[in-house]
Amino acid sequence: MGFSNKELLRADWQWVGLQNYVTLFKDEHFLSALGNTFVFVVGTVPITTILALGMALLVNRKFRGRGIFRAGYFFPSITSMVVIALIFQELYRRDGYVAMLATMIGLTPPEYGFLIDKSTALYSIMAMDIWMSVGYYMLIFLAGLKSIPDELYEAARMQGASFFHQLRYITIPILRPVALFIIVINSIKSFQVFVEIYVMTGGKSDTMSMVYFVYENGVTKAFQFGYASAAAIILFAIIGVFSIMQFSILKRREPIW
Amino acid sequence: MVAIWTDPAIKPTIREMVSDFEQQNPDIKVKLTDLTWSHGHEKIVLAFASGRGPDVVELGSDWIAQFAENGQLTDISADIASDSAEYQGWSMANYNGRIMAYPWFLGTRVLFGNLDLMAKAGYDDTFVPVSWPQLLEASKKISALGPKYYGWGSNAPEKHRLYKKYLPFLWSAGGQILTDDGKLCVIASTYAIDGLTIYKMLHDSAGYVAKQRGIEDAFLDGKVGFIISGDWLLKRIEKENRKINLLSTLIPGPTLPGRSFKGGEFLAINAKSEKKEAAMKFVRFITSPEQQIKFCKANRSANPSSVKAQQDPYFASNDHIQTFIKQIRLAKHPPVDPDWVYMEGIIEQAVEDVVFNGEPVAESLRKARHEIEKQRK
Repeated sequence: MGFSNKELLRADWQWVGLQNYVTLFKDEHFLSALGNTFVFVVGTVPITTILALGMALLVNRKFRGRGIFRAGYFFPSITSMVVIALIFQELYRRDGYVAMLATMIGLTPPEYGFLIDKSTALYSIMAMDIWMSVGYYMLIFLAGLKSIPDELYEAARMQGASFFHQLRYITIPILRPVALFIIVINSIKSFQVFVEIYVMTGGKSDTMSMVYFVYENGVTKAFQFGYASAAAIILFAIIGVFSIMQFSILKRREPIW
Repeated sequence: MVAIWTDPAIKPTIREMVSDFEQQNPDIKVKLTDLTWSHGHEKIVLAFASGRGPDVVELGSDWIAQFAENGQLTDISADIASDSAEYQGWSMANYNGRIMAYPWFLGTRVLFGNLDLMAKAGYDDTFVPVSWPQLLEASKKISALGPKYYGWGSNAPEKHRLYKKYLPFLWSAGGQILTDDGKLCVIASTYAIDGLTIYKMLHDSAGYVAKQRGIEDAFLDGKVGFIISGDWLLKRIEKENRKINLLSTLIPGPTLPGRSFKGGEFLAINAKSEKKEAAMKFVRFITSPEQQIKFCKANRSANPSSVKAQQDPYFASNDHIQTFIKQIRLAKHPPVDPDWVYMEGIIEQAVEDVVFNGEPVAESLRKARHEIEKQRK
């Protein structure tokens, strides 16, 4: 389909070779969607992973009410994305809580709200995405932490290893496969970002993502299935290359058991 | 069985009409299916593409050309000859000289004002802004009442809505999107620049920025002096029992009342329908003056397409509805063009760039004209 000029409502279509791909890389809307998607992935995946690990380490410690914290952090992950996006849409308004909070700490919030200002819209959606998904990845890290034998920490402590030494030489190396899984899964999910953008900005304010571009060109506006399919194939290729790169980088060193 | 797809918001009224129709036509059964405004377009496209669309479908006026261009709609020109003077709105269904849908109820936008805020700003109850300078000045004075008050409801970037707010300013200035023959895009004319300049001035000096719903909320809460909105606001005020001292008036122009945006809901018959005769019978029934009056009363719609229905005392009984009836005579609709979906997005982007991203008006409109020309090649 990506090599044809197929339109949904037209029966006749022809093979056009690479024409769709050539056009895509000249289409400023596609290039903007590509750039935004990369910013989204590069911005959300590392922060989510680090925060999830930190939170997993915190709630892995024994303290009263630990279960409440675990459930609380996980709660956003089981809530509908649409509901969360609608709530954040209100929070990000010019007179919303986020603007009030920014003013209280001496910052100047965007004049018309976080989702209307081009310089803040995408980052605001990214912040919401991090908040929403960090609990889920925390739980996966927690499962990984539970699989680390206590004897390793006991032996390290007996030899005088500090918390950071234990983290550096025991926890992180052993959690490497878990981290790899989280980074790959989260990257794929982030490359496919759509619902948040659909609900919160409708692709406006410079927040168009690649999947939104595919949706808009293939379904809502133009029904250009051929063109939209070509964009989807590029996205598929990017996700494939990115995943292979992540596997090769993070698997370079095997965990120490 | 005739399958009809229509908006769930009006379903209770339509269901009653269907029941009356079935009683009068026992040999025809009607199956109603929901078609929401926000996702209706996709649903119709997919149904048409699959070859299993409904017999009758409710279409927004700006969708007709695209479906007509692709051969999905029945040409009803020959069937409506006797109705042509009885109904309004045919121009929106006229695609290359063929009538592709039946006008049902029309819609336009008017200027709403908060009389209490106007009074606070020093205007007596005889004041009505009829020109851009008057609207701008009144909006500024209302904004000057305090940080909680705004003179003008300015639409945030929102698909299918932002452009509808700019077009009245473009048309009121004397501008057009395409030339009369539809061959050239003239969106970068000096008229268009004047229209967008005043739109931006209103936004910059007095604008409360939100999506359409947010603007209406703020207006009904007494925070905003003037907004452009449709007849659904009247229904909302009544339904939510809002206490607002409301002014409704014609959209201002450079010196006198200007042009508003006109659209409408149309009923089209699927080109592949095997029950076209029964479908047309239903369309005629539901668009008859009696049914339109019933519909308008139930849904507070101000602009039935039937000329006879417009003369019902109901429409003369309410001043605000009268404003809509007067305004629609001074309203224009976008070009009936299969590329309109693209043009709409390009115009919306130009308005967004000027109003929210500080791009110069003339440059942004020139860019829009270039993109529209490129799209139409």
